[in-house]
Amino acid sequence: MDLDIRKENKKDFSILYVGGEIDAYTAPQLKEELLPMTENEGDKILVDLKGVDYIDSTGLGIFIGALKSAKSHNSTIELTGLNSRVKRLFSITGLDEVINIDNEKREEAK
Amino acid sequence: MTDSFSCIQNQYKEILKQYLEDKNEIGLYQAQQFSKKVLEHQISPEETLSFHLDAIEEFFPDIPHSLRDSFDFLLEVMMGYGMAYRAHQSLRDKQKELEAEINVAASMQQTFLPEEIPQVDSLDIGVISVPASKMSGDYYHFIRDENDCIGVAIADIIGKGIPAALCMSMIKYAMDSLPEQRLQPGALLENLNRVVEQNVASNMFITMMYGSYDPHVHHFYYSGAGHEPGFYYSQKEDTFEELYAKGLVLGIKRHTKFREYHKQVEPGDFVVLLSDGVTECRTEEGFIEREELIELIRKYKELPAQEIVEKVFYELERLQDFQLRDDFSLIILRRKV
Amino acid sequence: MSIQSNVEVHTEWGIVSARQAGRNLAKDAGFGNVDQARIATAISELARNIYLYAEKGEIVIQYVEDTESPVSKRGIKIIAKDKGPGISNIRDVMEDGFTTSGGLGAGLPGVKRLMDEFDIHSTAGEGTEITAIKWLR
Repeated sequence: MDLDIRKENKKDFSILYVGGEIDAYTAPQLKEELLPMTENEGDKILVDLKGVDYIDSTGLGIFIGALKSAKSHNSTIELTGLNSRVKRLFSITGLDEVINIDNEKREEAK
Repeated sequence: MTDSFSCIQNQYKEILKQYLEDKNEIGLYQAQQFSKKVLEHQISPEETLSFHLDAIEEFFPDIPHSLRDSFDFLLEVMMGYGMAYRAHQSLRDKQKELEAEINVAASMQQTFLPEEIPQVDSLDIGVISVPASKMSGDYYHFIRDENDCIGVAIADIIGKGIPAALCMSMIKYAMDSLPEQRLQPGALLENLNRVVEQNVASNMFITMMYGSYDPHVHHFYYSGAGHEPGFYYSQKEDTFEELYAKGLVLGIKRHTKFREYHKQVEPGDFVVLLSDGVTECRTEEGFIEREELIELIRKYKELPAQEIVEKVFYELERLQDFQLRDDFSLIILRRKV
Repeated sequence: MSIQSNVEVHTEWGIVSARQAGRNLAKDAGFGNVDQARIATAISELARNIYLYAEKGEIVIQYVEDTESPVSKRGIKIIAKDKGPGISNIRDVMEDGFTTSGGLGAGLPGVKRLMDEFDIHSTAGEGTEITAIKWLR
């Protein structure tokens, strides 16, 4: 099943809305969208995961790759709209301490 | 080949003739059986069509020219199917080759895993590790040091199948090259993290839980690198609690520190370590809840550790219609009563 | 015997002419209707490749005889040559499932399987020459 991906450019940041299940099959699709966004020097990227009900380890890997790329391009990446299952995954893996996760931003993204 | 070919062609002629005379279901059944035969002898669609044309020309010498020519037209249309059929055969052969290669790799991978579980007087240990396909991204390891302490590692490599298996070999060699003297779980993970960080692609990572059991004082020390939490069963309280060790997954940040946790293990208590293939076991109704998993373990907790892990695996496998979505590993260490 | 047909391919008409020439020669050589169709299909695929990727080239169809082998064999040889862009990765195009144009054609592996012998020579930037033979059984 394909991911539902939509990109929106706001004044000072861009939002990537993702919907579906991010697993080994759909992860390449997310990577194709997300990675180039991190390569723009100084950009702020918000990834809205409201529509994502499941992420597997390959999916997590995409976010890690994006985070590393963001670091080397001076851009920032932030996640929002995580459901409890997804949030738990980021917390268990300790990734919530290296990636910005902010559920408050969800309102702003609307 | 040519012999059996003309033999099959004759057979086609005979059953067709029979059918044209009797026009009954028996004839059609024979045609269906015949189609299995042509496949078995790798006869392509356009050849089968030509059997038909040859037979028809023999049965009806006065067949109108245009009807006869229409078969040439159909033959040309069938060429595409013929080519697809042959491409399919060659792909099937290639698949067999690949499978054979993977089988060799899978048996090599088996040698990365411990051949036997260490025998300790005071411990009852059970292990099961089953890959979703042929190769596994789950890794486990036992170390027994000179003080008789038992080290146990369980690791889950991102993804599954061959890419995960390749990465697993790195973990195996990294574990083997660790200093001989006993390492504290936290220090061990810090060591491994440095190796992994330098050797994996940017979107790869490994989660691991490492524990060390000291049978002299019955302490269990453990640290985790983003690994799926296990459980701790206390016999006195008859409760399961989450065995969680906070820590970042391996391969992300070079200088990561791992906190060390500790449990005093009482007789009958046991530690459950698992990979996320156990908790992400998915049935038609959704993911199984950790509570359901606890109930399963509870159901079998009186059995020897090896039997518990096998029974739990069987039940979860059955829940998923015997199709694993992810590699599955479950380890139980129980202090004997 | 030296019967030969040379067909220029730079339009789809050229593809049809090449097929026709191949079929006629195959028929005269004594090939049955299935093999005639196979030879025509092989020519078709090779000619289409010329038409699509090299824009123009030539298909040569010859009657061949192999007197050196213990049992002498007769057959049809197809030579497809062009001065197009050439193929830089022959191993890839000889792999099943590799398509460059997204077309449904069985491509070169398909042609190879239709014929008994197949040989390809290509230099990037210079052109391609493919030789394929079908022997009479």
